[in-house]
Amino acid sequence: MKVRVDDSLCHGHQACAVAAPKVFGADDYGNAVVLIEGDLPADLEAGTRRAQGNCPEHAIIIDE
Amino acid sequence: MLLPPVIRASFFTQMALAQQVRLANPQPDYVAMQQAHPGGLMCPMDGIAVSFGRETTDFVLRHHELFSSAVDMPLGNVRPLIPLNIDPPKHSKYRKILDPLFSPKRMDEMEPDIAARANKFIDEFVADGECNFSEQFAEQFPSAVFLGLMGMPWDQLEMFLHLRDGILHPEKVDPAAEADFTVRFAVMNATGQEIYTYFNEQLDQREANPADDLLTHFITAEVDGDTMSREEVLDLCYLFLIAGLDTVSDSLTCLFAYLAQHPEQRQLIVDDPRVIPGAVEELLRWETPVPYGVPRVATQDVQLPNGTTLAEGTVVTVSYGGANIDPSEYPDGFDVRFDRDDNRHIAFGGGVHRCLGSHLARRELRIALAEWHRRIPQYGIKPGHEDLQFPLGLRHVKDLTLSWS
Ligand code: HEM
Ligand code: SF4
Repeated sequence: MKVRVDDSLCHGHQACAVAAPKVFGADDYGNAVVLIEGDLPADLEAGTRRAQGNCPEHAIIIDE
Repeated sequence: MLLPPVIRASFFTQMALAQQVRLANPQPDYVAMQQAHPGGLMCPMDGIAVSFGRETTDFVLRHHELFSSAVDMPLGNVRPLIPLNIDPPKHSKYRKILDPLFSPKRMDEMEPDIAARANKFIDEFVADGECNFSEQFAEQFPSAVFLGLMGMPWDQLEMFLHLRDGILHPEKVDPAAEADFTVRFAVMNATGQEIYTYFNEQLDQREANPADDLLTHFITAEVDGDTMSREEVLDLCYLFLIAGLDTVSDSLTCLFAYLAQHPEQRQLIVDDPRVIPGAVEELLRWETPVPYGVPRVATQDVQLPNGTTLAEGTVVTVSYGGANIDPSEYPDGFDVRFDRDDNRHIAFGGGVHRCLGSHLARRELRIALAEWHRRIPQYGIKPGHEDLQFPLGLRHVKDLTLSWS
């Protein structure tokens, strides 16, 4: 499973970083950055799905 | 584009809402409005629309080019509020300057200072066994936090509160403002002038002696090689008084009233403070202290996702409270659960105008909850004060009185 953020939709709510702090961080403007390149370790998948479910802008895209 | 008719429209909107959405427990009424009107869109008269449904509200927030926020809000200011009443592309320029100053990382650094300020208030009344939470904590704490951010000494708190009251609670400055709109606007306009004068002096001082505080950053921040003009910086300071103080105060009264009335859920916080971030998000969803958005104006005829067409010039108000309980987004929205997954609440708005202060506000709320429950784990609404008053305006509890032993 891979994850990315659509920068045009992300408005920096940071709900993702609360749900999955190891997967999502923030740039200087508070917008989301994905901290893990490539496939996610299995133990971070659930948190990443929770982040997706908590993003008010539907900006998180998961590629299975 | 300043549109004075918007003021009139928002006045009518508020009257229509006052009749249909109860202040004390609005949640069932939000759902009733979604069901009563196609697409959850109430149109009390031509040219006015209020969106209670999530789909339409998301659409409005995401299409700033179709729905302009450049409206004139009568709050004693002489120019539009930055960045609230500015549309992109200019809006993006301001947010590029401001976002880094309120980023999660910077706000993390403020946490010890915020906690110290929260405790300073709790120190004052903890031994009394009771307090008027609204007055003695909620209404003052966010202003105290701002003093720290802006690099002002504690003794400026009174001044800060006075300026805030002059625009947001003119009746506290002159009781006649309660009923008389002329007096009301006179107090607001006079305070507006005081605010410009006060911050002008503060900014002069920072120009002479730069410091690592918000006001200095406002003066020096550059975007695309430009700094902000003095007028722009003043407009920002103005908005912070309006957007950054009562919003947090009011949220605090909502959250603590809820917790005082729900001891089992309060116990979850006492037992394990790690639930606090989830509790804050869920209570922000449930309470939605800023229930409605800034009125927006349709820049052209717009077709909404449900097929309804809004004529150019229609004044659209979104109900954040409605969006946060909409059964299409929350099938079990009436359950308040601190461990809720899939909480896409928009209590801080959405799209380009998403609350600039959300990262600060979240930390203020989390810290207030953490420090309070560490020191006063068991409390309730003081007997005799159970009938909670939710006045007009942002959602808040007046004179929330708590007691503990
Ligand atoms: C829990 C407390 C708060 C809540 C619920 C809240 C809510 C909101 C909402 C709903 C909006 C969007 C308005 C709209 O466009 O319809 C907003 C915008 C804004 N808020 Fe907050 N707010 C809070 C605290 C703060 C604080 C502490 C600050 C101080 C920095 C702040 C500064 C702003 C600013 C500057 C905007 C305008 C952003 C823009 O137009 O780009 N807010 N807030
Ligand atoms: S929750 Fe969504 S909008 Fe917010 S920072 Fe994360 S990706 Fe961006």
